[in-house]
Amino acid sequence: MPIVKKAPAASRDQDERELQRDCASLVLQLADGDPTTRRWAAKDLVGCPDVSAALIGRLRQERDPSVREIILTALTQRADAQAVAALVECLRSEDVSLRNEAIEAMKTLPDEVAPIMGGLLGDADPDVRIFAVNVLESLRHELVEQWLKEVIERDPHVNVCATAVDLLGEVGTSYSREALEKLKERFPDEPYIRFAADIALKRICSN
Amino acid sequence: MKRVLIVDDAATVRMYYRLILEEAGYLVVEAVNGVEAMEKSLRESFDLYIVDINMPKQDGYGFLRELRGRDELRQAPALMVSTEAADHDRKRAYAAGANLYLVKPVKPQELLVNCRLLLGEVRP
Amino acid sequence: MAEITIGKEDFLKFREFFYRKTGIQFDDAKRYFVDRRLAERIEATDSRSFRNYFMLLRFEASGEELQTLTNLMTVNETYFFREEYQFKCLVNSILPEITTQKKDSRPIRIWSMPSSSGEEPYSIAMYLLEYWPGIEKWDVEIISSDIDTKILGQARRGLYSPRSVQHLPKNLLAKYFKAAGDGFQVSEELREAVEFTRVNLMNQADVRAYREFDVIFCRNLLIYFDDLSRRQAADTFYDALHPGGFLCLGHSESMSRISSLYKARKFADSVVYQKPKEAR
Ligand SMILES: C[S@@+](CC[C@H](N)C(=O)[O-])C[C@H]1O[C@@H](n2cnc3c(N)ncnc32)[C@H](O)[C@@H]1O
Repeated sequence: MPIVKKAPAASRDQDERELQRDCASLVLQLADGDPTTRRWAAKDLVGCPDVSAALIGRLRQERDPSVREIILTALTQRADAQAVAALVECLRSEDVSLRNEAIEAMKTLPDEVAPIMGGLLGDADPDVRIFAVNVLESLRHELVEQWLKEVIERDPHVNVCATAVDLLGEVGTSYSREALEKLKERFPDEPYIRFAADIALKRICSN
Repeated sequence: MKRVLIVDDAATVRMYYRLILEEAGYLVVEAVNGVEAMEKSLRESFDLYIVDINMPKQDGYGFLRELRGRDELRQAPALMVSTEAADHDRKRAYAAGANLYLVKPVKPQELLVNCRLLLGEVRP
Repeated sequence: MAEITIGKEDFLKFREFFYRKTGIQFDDAKRYFVDRRLAERIEATDSRSFRNYFMLLRFEASGEELQTLTNLMTVNETYFFREEYQFKCLVNSILPEITTQKKDSRPIRIWSMPSSSGEEPYSIAMYLLEYWPGIEKWDVEIISSDIDTKILGQARRGLYSPRSVQHLPKNLLAKYFKAAGDGFQVSEELREAVEFTRVNLMNQADVRAYREFDVIFCRNLLIYFDDLSRRQAADTFYDALHPGGFLCLGHSESMSRISSLYKARKFADSVVYQKPKEAR
């Protein structure tokens, strides 16, 4: 019989992993040379107190995407003030994948992100404002439309507005109608803005 | 009919490009990020890629690098279109494998001319 | 109650949203199919209009309604040889690649997760026995898991309705099944070949021991998960696979909504995902 039945566990390095599962050694293992060890350390650190700083420290230098993904998941699950602050810091990174990973993580944290959203949307750097609008794309928070409306009313940068108006095509209601009309007047020479605002308006009118 | 793959996470942007390109007689397919773009590129072939930079899961640079690393896909030209206007963004885009770089928002004519250029339908 | 109508713009807006979330694209021809299901959920959730319902989908904290709707928009029924092209890919391309690169002679390990009532892992076993010449040389372990103990009991018993076996070639039905009541029971040989275990994919303690697989089938499960759970599942599979191991998802599921850790591979029968060979 060529198909053999066996217990699911391939228990080779099982035991190694069971050793040393206390928080202090897990933190040390975050710097291990083997990515698998780092991955497991990050997974298991979720249950430890006060380790956001250690996770963030690792995230900044981690090159292996599979470890980064786990650290970001861990930070998302912890969602303490330190973790959120670290995610925000990532928005300023020159590392595009890190930035996008942080945006994705922030999308899943409506309650934690809401209090700082105003600040991000008012940031001096237009790129950071665009990334903040990106976070709103899937954020399950009741203020999303209000934030987007304020962006298209006030933000001087065309691409910040362009990003916001795209999302209003999905979440816009009559509350944003006037702001959308005005936006077209603010950027009369930008066909894309007119196109996107018209789509949002059409969708608002139809319901 | 020439086939174009638009890779951008913003739905309105994809619609905008689609409208412009379909009117000009191209066949358009969309993807929301680099991973989906790669899936679609393996299933069907494209004559031109229009690629944004900032996208979830896999960004535009990552996608272009992967595209250029695959023998069967490395030939097709790619136009990168992004909100980022700095010189180093442009350099990075070319290093990743872009053939041209435009800064958003693009005007219809600008998009069309550059697509035709990359498709070899007009001379520079 | 007034008839619920879904306008053209509503349809377009929904279609975009659903595509972004799931990767599933509906063309205009599917309009009626989509509208009917939307209307059904609008009614069931007491939303009264598309607009209110869409707000629920988009903003509900738990994401539960999106899950329910996704269920309704996709086929949940499991049956023998469902999405057969992937089994073809397994025997024609995946296993040949694995066996040429394998440096030891330990058994090839396949994890079919979730098993549901067992049609999928039994289909894999049959496919190997019937269509993979390598089975002469290699031992294979098939492990199949589900969260639901009742359904696992059903899988172990291996009793199926005529409907569930309708896509099986007649000769295989005759060879691997015997009549039982109104339906069929899988042969002892196949039941012996698959190990069923209870696993909650979301529970780290449950999945920890699942390691060193060459191929994982995870079909028609992740599409019902939220973003974070999907990512965790992809991480779990990453650790469960050997470097160079393969992950097969259901046809309406796309890795593009889950993770970029895997490399898409094109084979004659299917596009599947691979844990990078250089990964550890
Ligand atoms: C639609 S069936 C898929 C069956 C089969 N793979 C197929 O494609 O036909 C989904 C199964 O997932 C199982 N399931 C749901 N959540 C799970 C979890 N967290 N862990 C393991 N299995 C789960 C359910 O019990 C159900 O049997």
